[in-house]
Parts: sequence; C-alpha cells; structure tokens
Amino acid sequence: MALYIVEADCISCGDCEPVCPTNSITEGAIVFKIDKKTCTECEGDFDVPQCVKVCPIDNCILPLEA
Amino acid sequence: MSSQDTLSRELALRIGLAARALPDTDAKRLFNVLTHCVGLPITEDKLGSINLKTLKTAQEGEFSNIDDLQLKKALHILKTDAEMGEALAPEIDAYSEGDMPGSVRIAFASNDATNVDGHFGSCSQFMIYQVSADEARLIDIRDTGIPAGLEVDDKNLFRAELIQDCQVIYIASVGGPAAAKIVKLGIHPIKLTGSESIAGIIERLQTVIAGTPPPWLAKVMGIEANNRFRFERAATG
Repeated sequence: MALYIVEADCISCGDCEPVCPTNSITEGAIVFKIDKKTCTECEGDFDVPQCVKVCPIDNCILPLEA
Repeated sequence: MSSQDTLSRELALRIGLAARALPDTDAKRLFNVLTHCVGLPITEDKLGSINLKTLKTAQEGEFSNIDDLQLKKALHILKTDAEMGEALAPEIDAYSEGDMPGSVRIAFASNDATNVDGHFGSCSQFMIYQVSADEARLIDIRDTGIPAGLEVDDKNLFRAELIQDCQVIYIASVGGPAAAKIVKLGIHPIKLTGSESIAGIIERLQTVIAGTPPPWLAKVMGIEANNRFRFERAATG
C-alpha cells in the first residue's frame, strides 16, 4: 500500500515533501519520488493522503497497483 | 482648433496614446486638461514639468476621479518618446502550424508588451510566443478587452479561453480560482516572483528546451515518452 508520483506530470514544485508524515517523499534525479516501503498513504495520521491534498496537478499522485 | 497647429506631430501622437490609457477620455479631453495645466503652446519641456498632482487637480479636478495608476501610465506616455510607443506594438511574425518542431506556445501576461508585468485578471494583453530551442517568434498579441456586445459571465474563463492554444502562461500574479480555470484548459501557469522581461524568460526557457526539459514540459512539447527518459538512464545509470 503506497502511492507513487507520475513522472510525466510532476512539476517538481516540492509542495508534497514537507507534508508527508512518514518523510517518504524525496527529490529524485528527475522529479520527486515516494518511497513505497515507507509510504502509508497517511493511514493512521490523516484521513486523506496529504501529498495528494496539496499537489497542484490532478492525477499526479496515484496509488501503486499492488 | 488653430491651437493644435502649434502642436508637434510627436506630441499629438503622445497625447492620443495617453488619452487611450485613461477611461472615457479622448485626445480632446486630455488636450484641454493639459492646456489648463501648462498653457499653450504645449511643448515637450512643459509636459515634463507636469506631475500627478497637477494633472489630477487641473481644470477643477477633471481627472480627480481617475485612478492614480492610470494617470501615472498616461503621464509616462506623455513624457516618453513615441518611438518607444512604437516598440509597444512589436511586429508579429508569420507562423503556421508545424513551422517550428519541438516548440511550445507561451502566453505572457503583459501591460507594456515587453515585460511580464500583468495580473492574469487585469493585464491588457497576452503576448503569444512560439518558442523552440533556437528560435522564438511573437505570433500574436491578444487584447484582453471584452468585445462590445459580448456578454461574459466569467471574465477569467474568457481570458483563459483566449490563450487556450498555449501550453504555458507566465504571469506576475494570478488568483487561485483563476489558476484553476487555466489548469483546467490544459495550460500550465507559471507565476513569477516579480516583473521580468519576456526576452529574459524566453532565453532561460530556450536553455531548458535545448538541454533536458523536465518531463511535464517534454510532455506538453509532444516529445515521445521513450525519448523523454534518456535523462533518467543517464542520471541513474
């Protein structure tokens, strides 16, 4: 259970990085990326994933197909 | 009208242009106020001596209801060489679809035609450029005035639709709901931290296009996904 950032849509604004409760978001070589090992989709911390909430682009952060 | 005979062509042009910057003002009205300010004949030196206050209080406050900003703009036009005024309306280059492969169409919110100094909802025009790595063409200037007789419910949507064919818009500022309307039309808004020259932005953008455009830009430029990720391999491999 984790989210991922769609590379083609991410504009590298960095808004998602500070809101992640598990510090799973880091700036990668191309765009920001989410560590799927630590991402909890904010379960236990928030009702909705915070990165999705602050992301200015629609459908840029999606659930990984498990 | 004989008084106007003594007015140089240059100054007449400036007065005409300045009047256009003021609401409900034609050249004659402005001319009368200026005459009241400095007397006849109107000369360049005399115009230079007018400040905002004199203009505002002249002729029993004829212009007292006009916004300071608009008056300042008019004053600026009155005091600057009309040659500069011609630079205000730069020439539009011919462009037809497919002329410039690997290019993006950019809108710049501008009031003075050379800088991105406009708020999305209030700038007087959008300067439309087609930009590729080694070329930039001004292909259109779109006036943001709403044509007479046209009823527009949503001014910001009207403005966004004016630039619907662009992939990116640079603005000095934009409100949240307006930005949402821009994004919805598939245009990527970029807000600058202050006023910047269009030429400077284009130059920077060209370096980016010539190098490795970020994926979102590559996508709007129509670069195939396969070619887009060369950078990833280079960066990680």
